[in-house]
Order: sequence, then C-alpha cells, then structure tokens
Amino acid sequence: MFCEKSVELIRELHRMGDGQLPAFNEDGIRQVLEEMKALYEQNQTDVNEAKTEGKSELIPSIKFRHSCLLRNQRCIAAYLYDRLLRIRALRWEYGSVLPTTIRFHMCAEEMEWFNQYKKSLATYMRSIGGEEGLDITQDMKPPKSLYIEVRCLKDHGEFEIDDGTVILLKKNSQHFLPRWKCEQLIRQGVLEHVIS
Amino acid sequence: MFVTDIRKEFYDVVVNQRVALFVSPDIDALCACKVLQSLFHCDQVQYTLVPVAGWQDLGTAFMEHKEQYQYFVLINCGANVDLLETLQPEEDSVFFICDTHRPVDVVNVYNDTQIKLLIKQDDDLGVPSYDDIFRDDEEDEEGDGNDSGNESDGSAEPSGKRRRYDEDALERRIERQRARREWEARRREILFDYEQYEFHGTSAALVMFELAWVMSKDTKDMLWWSVIGVTDQWVHDKIPHMKYVTDIATLQRHVSRHNHRNEDEENSLSIDCMRITFEYDLRLVLYQHWSLYESICNSSYTSCSFKLWSINGQKKLQEFLADMGLPLKQVRQKFNCMDMTIKENLREVIEESANKFSMKDIRVQTFAVNFGFKNRFLASDVVHAAAALLENVEKDETSADNFIKALDCLSRSNLERLHLGIDLAKKKLKAIQQTVASCICTNLILSQGPFLYCHLLEGTPDVKLFSKPLALTLLCKYLLKAFLCSTRNKRCKILPLIMAAPLDVEKGTVIVLGIPPESETSDKKNFFGRAFEKAAESTSSRTLHDHFDTSVIELKMEDRGKFLDALITLLS
Repeated sequence: MFCEKSVELIRELHRMGDGQLPAFNEDGIRQVLEEMKALYEQNQTDVNEAKTEGKSELIPSIKFRHSCLLRNQRCIAAYLYDRLLRIRALRWEYGSVLPTTIRFHMCAEEMEWFNQYKKSLATYMRSIGGEEGLDITQDMKPPKSLYIEVRCLKDHGEFEIDDGTVILLKKNSQHFLPRWKCEQLIRQGVLEHVIS
Repeated sequence: MFVTDIRKEFYDVVVNQRVALFVSPDIDALCACKVLQSLFHCDQVQYTLVPVAGWQDLGTAFMEHKEQYQYFVLINCGANVDLLETLQPEEDSVFFICDTHRPVDVVNVYNDTQIKLLIKQDDDLGVPSYDDIFRDDEEDEEGDGNDSGNESDGSAEPSGKRRRYDEDALERRIERQRARREWEARRREILFDYEQYEFHGTSAALVMFELAWVMSKDTKDMLWWSVIGVTDQWVHDKIPHMKYVTDIATLQRHVSRHNHRNEDEENSLSIDCMRITFEYDLRLVLYQHWSLYESICNSSYTSCSFKLWSINGQKKLQEFLADMGLPLKQVRQKFNCMDMTIKENLREVIEESANKFSMKDIRVQTFAVNFGFKNRFLASDVVHAAAALLENVEKDETSADNFIKALDCLSRSNLERLHLGIDLAKKKLKAIQQTVASCICTNLILSQGPFLYCHLLEGTPDVKLFSKPLALTLLCKYLLKAFLCSTRNKRCKILPLIMAAPLDVEKGTVIVLGIPPESETSDKKNFFGRAFEKAAESTSSRTLHDHFDTSVIELKMEDRGKFLDALITLLS
C-alpha cells in the first residue's frame, strides 16, 4: 500500500520517546522519495493521457495518487521537523558540545542547522544581561542554594572553577562547589548531587 | 601546636578559604566529618572530601591536592606521626588535625606554624616539656651545628682554636659533652615513656560538635552525630568506661538543652521531628531490630557471662529466660512483634534477673533517637550498622565506595541504607559469635608467654569479614573476654591478645592486631604499636604499617614465625 513507508518513519520516531534522537533514517527517506517520484511520474503520464484523449475515468486514480503524494510530503515534513525540535532540546540539555553518539545520529544538514541554532542562541545570550551576557541555559529551575554538594562518580581529572582554582575530580571524592559550575557535569553523569 | 580558641584559630581562618578534608575510615571520623560538613554548608565554605584508608592513601591524596589547597583538615589521622616529615608539604600549607590517636607526636605539638591540633588540652596528654626534648643550638659554644637531639659527638674543631685554648677548655668541653649525653639519655627515656602506649582521647565528633555549639550553629542532627561518635569509641573499646560516662554526661546536658528548647505544652513537636532521649538501656546489641533471643546470644557481655559456647551455658540461658517469665516463643520473635505486656517492663525485668546471674552491668547509659512512628534507633545500633557498611566485604567494592555508603547511612533521609547496615551487622555479629565459639572449643588460643595468640586459618567460615580492622578488633575483644571466662589459668587472665587473620590469599598476607589485657579498670593503653615496629625491624619481616592505629599491621605469611619469636623475646 502506498504511504506505508512514511508512516513507518513516523512510528519509529514515536517509539523513541523522551526526546531521544534515533539515527537519521536515510534509507527510509530515500524510499519514500522514490515512491513519491514514481507516483508523480505515473500521475504525469495519466494527466497527459486524460488531457489528450479525454479519458475521464483516469481522474479518480490521479486524485488518489495526488493525495498519496500529499500524505508522503506531510509525513516527511513532520519527521524532519520533529527531529529538529529534538535536536534543539539537546542544546539545552547537553550544552554546545554534543556527545559523539548523538552526533552520529544526525545527518549533515541537521548538524548545519544545529550549528546555526547554537550561533543564534549565543548571539541572543550575549545581547541580554549587560556586558557579559547572560547564560540562560543555566538554572532551568530556581536554585535553592549557591553551592551544592556533589560526589564524583568517575575520574574526570582536573576541573577549573571561576576564580581560577583547579579541583581534582577523583572517584568517590566529595566536593562543595558553586552550583552553576556543576550542572554541566551532573548532566554528563560525572558528578552526582548529594542530598543529605 | 594546640589550638586554644577553636573558633578563632580554626573556623574563622578557613571560612573564607577552600579546604581539603582527609577523613579516616572509622565511625567517629565519619560523624565528625558530617558535623563539619553541615557547618561548611551553612557558611558556604568550599571543600573537597577525600576518604583516606591509611598512611599511603593520605600521602597520595596529599600529593594530588597540594597544588590546589592551602588548608587541610585531617580527621582521626595524622596526630601520632611527624606529619611534616611524612608529607613534606610546602611552607604555606596549614594542617588542622582533629585526631583521637594519642600520644600526639612531639614535633606536631611544638610546631607553631604549620600544624594546628584541634584537641582539647584537658585530655591528660602528658606531653613532655619543650626543654626536655629540644635543645637550642646556640647553647653550643663550639658551634657544632648539631640538630637538636642528634647523637653524634661534637665535630672536630679546627686545629687553630685548639692551640689557643688550654686544658681548661678541654675540661669544659668534656664536661659539656657528658652533660649532653646525659640529656640525650634522659630525652630518649622521656620519649620512650611518652610514646610507648597508644590510646585514644576525646571523640573527634564531640570536638566538632562543641565547635558548632560555640558558634550557636548546633542542631539536633549534629548532636546525634556526636552521640554516635562517642558511642563508637565505647563500642570498639577505645576509651575506658569512666571517660565514656563523662562524655555521656556532657552530651546529656546538650540533649536536655535541645529538648527543652522546643517542647512546650502548647507547641509540642510533631511526631516526625527528631527527638533524642537519654536512655539507661540494655547492653544487648541491636535488640530492638532483632529478636531478644538472638540479641542475647550474640552480645559479647551476655554470651561471655553465660558461656554460651558450652552446653551448660545454653542451659543457663534457658534458666535465665525462665526466671524472667518470658515464653520462648515470644523471645524468639522479632522484637517489634513481641507482646506489649512483655515489652513494657522489659528493662527492669531483665536487670533484676541479670543481677541474679551475676551480670551487674546489663544496663548502660546511652541515647536513642525517635523520628516518625516506626523509626527508633539506639546509638549503638547506628554504630554497628555504619561499621558493617564501612567494612562490607560482600560486594567487591573499594574502601572508598564503602566509606561513601557508610557516610550516607548517617543521614536521616537514607533509612534503607541504615536498615541494610543493620542486616549486615547482624550477620557480622553472628559470624563473630560462631568464630569465638569455635576458637574456644577447639582451643585455638595459645599462650606464647608474654601474650596470647590466635591465628584464624583460611578455611574458617566468614574469615573474609575479619580481614578488616574494625571487625577484627571486635572479634579480638570478644574472644579475649570469652577466654577469660573459660580458662582456669590465673596467669593467662592478665595477658594481652594478638590475633592474625588472612588478609589477601594471593599475596599471602595476614592482618595482625594486638589488644591490651582485659580488666575492669583497664585504661585501654596499647603497647603493641611500638612492639610490632621493633619486632619487624629486628627480624626484617615484610610488614606494612599502613593503618592509622599502630597496633594493626599487615604481614607476610612466611614471616609470621620469626616475627612472633621476635615479639616474644621483646616482651618477655
């Protein structure tokens, strides 16, 4: 049946809930585009036939193929757009450097889009909040305290905080650090917030 | 140098700085660490907490952090060794040491700049006076340039001087050298007496709590932690009973102060709030989380009084239970499920019957904490749970992992971990009881002359548990008490005990531990630290003196024989 491939693309994206980004399904898109091309060509021939020879019984099939084309277009557009939304959320979650596993799942154009998005977010952040700009990706929820206690889950090596001092993050050491420096590392799983 | 005003000289100095905390793995240190951490959270002092298991760990941790930190706080480590020589720090590093190990090394006491000791000076320290140990170089007219206390004779003077002086000068020099030799001999004697016995002072958690109290930042949580710290010292037999009673009295004052602050007729506290109460409770280990029967069987006091490893002992236990009128079915049930009528007067009933069976001290002064309807813990329960977590050998985790888990279990929000610790503690106590029973029954304790000796073989069940110092200490003390009850030999009753257990089968090492002889009025002073060092030196055995307690060492299996022989000759 027509349009099944494109619905499968949608289903694949729907299955990976929670903002995860599956690999870019180049194959799937290519197949859908081929299907669209085939339908279009069939429609072209039929339209020409209908016009020249006046075969009005071809009209329903032309209409049917046209609606299939529209459906495929809508599915692909939804697929691409949803992926872009997920990629945008990744910037807020992971920061400007994405883990390599996620980068493999994006196609070249998506990377391009991501870089553009990063740039425009950075420009915006620089423009607000006075001279130095304001990092709005920090403190997504109002913080309860300036400093938090964190525990190191794996050896991360040296870590520099704002006043230049360097802290050695070794496994099982606990530190009391400013909240904003730790958030990145907590998201990456290097540190764990200790609530006592 | 001793710190006189702990607030000004310690806290106000570090409050604006970043601090590195090195904490040793015992419960008292964990509690002191928790108190200090909450103070730091209050004042937003940035710190890094590193658990250190021994001297090597301390050295490595120091090397890693010395670039970034200027102020170091050491909890329950570092006072009994010349710290500056061991760590070789820079000129500007400052160490704050809050340690219960005594005697405090004289270099640490008399160093004015880099070492600050957070130790209460009324602790009966007996530090020798400065002039007895250190000698000013300028007193030497000859300008020999000797370091204080060096034994070398005076260096040869240039021959020019000798010509100028005549026999008077020669006599004076001989006189001076004789005086110096006498001084040095006296110094050696003084130092030997001072450093011979190792013992423990006031709990570090109590010191930290008093710091919090002085700053009016003390909370009930901190008070509870300091209670646990003091109780840990008593459970692991580090302090004599009198000192424990005195410390409990101090804590009791704080507890009543906290309780009266909040309790009022109109504003009584909600049942979920933490409430610490002073209890004159039974000496049965974990009895409220276990069945009464199990607790009686596995507590060292009752087990040794009844001699539960023998059949007579079992009979006596049954008599005891019958005397109290407690049905066996009730007694074997979980304590929480026992009949309310039995639980009501349980303590008094047990005390009465215990007196008949010559157990005069079945009750001991301690504290309990209540929060919510379900949660009630005695201080000793928490100590056993935390110790079991700290030395957990069930999963193959590093000591730092266990340290973190034990640290977590002290917070009220981690009750599951505390319950897990209680379960592990039950297993540990059962293992100890069984090992003691088998050792007594198979006469594994041998008298070597100046001490008793027991060696746990590799195939012994649960022997992995005893590769850790705290568990081995408990086993040792229990075993010594049991031995005293079961032996008829009068002379053996005043002997100390040395115990060896396999540590690492592949490397072929054993852990060796010595405890002082058991007596009613023992002051818990342990001379095995120095004895082990000397014995190891004289036989050049391959030993590792890594633990902060000098009476615990690691030794290679093959060197065991000659090491013991050396000890016997040393101590005879």
